[in-house]
Amino acid sequence: MVDRPLDDAELVERAKRGDLRAWETIVRGYQGLAFRTAYLLSGSAADAEEAVQDGFVKAYRALGRFRRGSPLRPWLLRIVSNEARNRRRSAGRRDALALRVAAADRPGDAVPSPEAALLSGESRARLLGAVNGLSEEHRLTIACRYFLELSEEETAAALGVRRGTVKSRLARALARLREELDEEEGE
Amino acid sequence: MSSLEQQLQRLGQVLEYPPEPDVAPAVLVRLDRRPFPWRVVAVALAVLAVAVGAVFTVPQARTTILKWFHLRGVTVERVETLPPAVEPGQLGRPLSRDEAERAVGFELALPPGTKPGRVYVVDGALASVALREEGGPLLLSEYRAVDFALLKKSATAQTVIEPVLVNGEPGLWLEGGPHTLTYFNRRGEFRQRTVLIRGNVLLWTDGPLTLRLEGRLTKAQALDIARVIR
Repeated sequence: MVDRPLDDAELVERAKRGDLRAWETIVRGYQGLAFRTAYLLSGSAADAEEAVQDGFVKAYRALGRFRRGSPLRPWLLRIVSNEARNRRRSAGRRDALALRVAAADRPGDAVPSPEAALLSGESRARLLGAVNGLSEEHRLTIACRYFLELSEEETAAALGVRRGTVKSRLARALARLREELDEEEGE
Repeated sequence: MSSLEQQLQRLGQVLEYPPEPDVAPAVLVRLDRRPFPWRVVAVALAVLAVAVGAVFTVPQARTTILKWFHLRGVTVERVETLPPAVEPGQLGRPLSRDEAERAVGFELALPPGTKPGRVYVVDGALASVALREEGGPLLLSEYRAVDFALLKKSATAQTVIEPVLVNGEPGLWLEGGPHTLTYFNRRGEFRQRTVLIRGNVLLWTDGPLTLRLEGRLTKAQALDIARVIR
């Protein structure tokens, strides 16, 4: 009997031996983040769902190539994101996904902290408008790094670029956002 | 982290995303359908051995259909060599149960207490649900039988094909070697797709529906599940 949750490395080792229950635990642990990432990249909920399903099937089959001891999350995100980008490409979808604030904020925001309150209403709409106005590659880099809170390595995996590219895109995107917000304030 | 970066993070926490689907049942069914490569190789060698044997023994007749079995909407043919087939991929377009029932135009028959998060629909005709039973993942597919065969199965002598009764209605049990499943679309157009199936399969009819249960099941287990599907 196992009376503590297994960590990723143990689950991966079990899955490599054909234990589908171990893989199910991994799927359930990561499918939420994988779906949000695939949704941002593909621009469609249906494509994102198929990308996540295919991604977890392909990842299981590729477990033999997964290096023991390396982090699982960026590896999974790379596979799922690749599926999501391919779907977007084959659908010929070019229009950017416009991000929106949820109609009802999450329960945790019911009593906003002073900081969160600073970013409510108008200022939030302005910031989101500025992000939506960025170029596709800058917008997605900002979305992965700050909205999904991926690390730089994970952002690079999700976007299929090198980490150095993520750093430079982030720097340029943040500069662009500052310019945009300053301009608006000055008006 | 700069103030702008903090604001972006906070914004990320209130963004709207579509509801997150549970892909685990479909992933498990698909993985269970297609074993690890070494087993694929073993099966491929077995199929090749049968094919080579057939070529040498009855060269003129290696695609001869030896026997037919009919069930409403399905034809099962006994052949000496399987037709070319691909590995099964996506189960279909993922929809909610309501959306799927609207798409196929009938209410799904399911084991009691099953609440599928997702139903996978092919061509507005064939609906599949990934089930989880003690033995492992199962795939239940159903469609409204029509005049012509929507599904065709081809099986070699390695596969046992046995007529059965499910709640008094006719069915077929396929067990043993791999067999193929060919799907024709609803309009009967020649748009077929043949996939290789390795699990055991129970086919049966229930009122206007034809059902198909696939997985690593014994005949008794499959019949037990089929009897309570309503």
